[in-house]
Amino acid sequence: MLPDFFEFYSPTKVVYEDGVASDLKPELDIIGIQKYFVISDHIINDLGLIQKVADGLEDAGCEVVGKYLDVAQDARLNDVQTCAEAVKSSGAEGIISIGGGSVIDTAKAVNILFSVGGDLVEDYSGAHTLTRPLSPHVVIPTTAGTGSEVTFVAVIYDEENKEKLAFPDKYLMPNLAVLDPEMTVSLPPKMTAATGMDALTHAIEAYVGIQAAPFSDAFALGAIELIMKNLVTATENGEDIEARGAMLIAATMAGIAFTHSMCGCVHGMAHATGGLYRVPHGVANAIFLPFGMEYNFEEITEKLARLAPVMGEDVSGGSEEEAAGKAIEAVRKLTANLNKLGALPLKLSEVGVPEDGLADIAEGALNDGTSFYNPREVDPDELLPFIQRAY
Amino acid sequence: MGLFENSEKFEEVLGGFFRQLAETPQIADKLLKSNLIIRFNYTDPDLVIVVDCSGDKIDVRPHDTETKATVEMSMTADIAHKFWFGKVNLTKALTRKEMVAKGPIPKILKLLPAIKPSYAMYPKYLEENGYSQYNIH
Repeated sequence: MLPDFFEFYSPTKVVYEDGVASDLKPELDIIGIQKYFVISDHIINDLGLIQKVADGLEDAGCEVVGKYLDVAQDARLNDVQTCAEAVKSSGAEGIISIGGGSVIDTAKAVNILFSVGGDLVEDYSGAHTLTRPLSPHVVIPTTAGTGSEVTFVAVIYDEENKEKLAFPDKYLMPNLAVLDPEMTVSLPPKMTAATGMDALTHAIEAYVGIQAAPFSDAFALGAIELIMKNLVTATENGEDIEARGAMLIAATMAGIAFTHSMCGCVHGMAHATGGLYRVPHGVANAIFLPFGMEYNFEEITEKLARLAPVMGEDVSGGSEEEAAGKAIEAVRKLTANLNKLGALPLKLSEVGVPEDGLADIAEGALNDGTSFYNPREVDPDELLPFIQRAY
Repeated sequence: MGLFENSEKFEEVLGGFFRQLAETPQIADKLLKSNLIIRFNYTDPDLVIVVDCSGDKIDVRPHDTETKATVEMSMTADIAHKFWFGKVNLTKALTRKEMVAKGPIPKILKLLPAIKPSYAMYPKYLEENGYSQYNIH
């Protein structure tokens, strides 16, 4: 069934090649500026990844005029303000962010203050509040999960008020996403598994969500197939460039999918669990994903049935319900394989969540913005048994 | 020209509906939990209404342009009217700027499940209060 309305807008140019992060001249020539400010973190710097990009910039006739490496694990409001000042005083004409979701989201928010000034919270809270394009922003992801290199949202943590602020705006979509598998080979197995499961959750929730549309479906299905075929290999052997590349591409495709059709209750539960018990986002998504699919089962049976063969399941001869069940089974097999590698916990009880905190997670899922996009109404009482099974 | 002939009429219709919502515990209790102060800025015809959920009960204040709101929602009166029938695709409205939201978006989205029952209440309210000419069939 076709939706009444959908919009597809994905202006970010994507380039993929092993080693392309240090060979960007054609893309940078088109952007047409020379002075870049790098936003990243100390780990990425210590791994030599920033130098690699900087050398490539020099070969392309560009230069790095400043760096900010103090981005915390969560993108923070204070970092955004401090970093924006550094960018302004550096004489930069644009930004290159090199890192995972926190680095990229920080860079997006910094670009607002750098390009148009003002106060991030006072002037830009809301949806699509910007009125003109920002300065060029090139993103080089070093994880394969967040998809932020192609999404229109920056999520920033406000330490003072202890809340996550979302800034959705089409002008936040970066100009260029550079997918270079070499930039992800040093990602440890646990991070590879967790971020990969985050990407799978993006893709599955985008595919079954109420905003799903043919364009987002195509990207979601492509992402799911690549993840099912490559996540275990990338986790087991981080040097496998093909698996790393496939995961990078998949995460970006999942990002395109969910920036159009949003996420649902799995993300709602994961956000609540992360906020209450500091469980890493990808790990929480991995634990909740099969249970969220079961919670929504009646509303999404047909879509899950179409998903099962894409996930490598043989559905011949079975009913639609059986095929749908196999899609959930495929997720469980994947997480079990990652668990066997020691890369992923499978239960909330293994990640420090107390049993008496499960009701709070259910309530938190209801109060999360994603509940609006979930195919089944999020009712904490009805959701709680599924969370208990995830315990 | 929009569906509503003037600001007074729109205030009478929508303000009255907001007051009914404020006295419906199923909805009001959840809105009060949000603690939000929402200012609706309507055009064609022009009207400002503040819905203040920061106290013990919901306070609906037309023409309040002074109070600092947590969230500001701007739209035409016709879009607002369609919204309360549950006939507005929020993502579409926001991306096409039919609605402009200023403030913490997740907090706004959180409210949507809470106000879902109001979509069934609105046509009934119009019918029962002599505003049936505005009903969308």
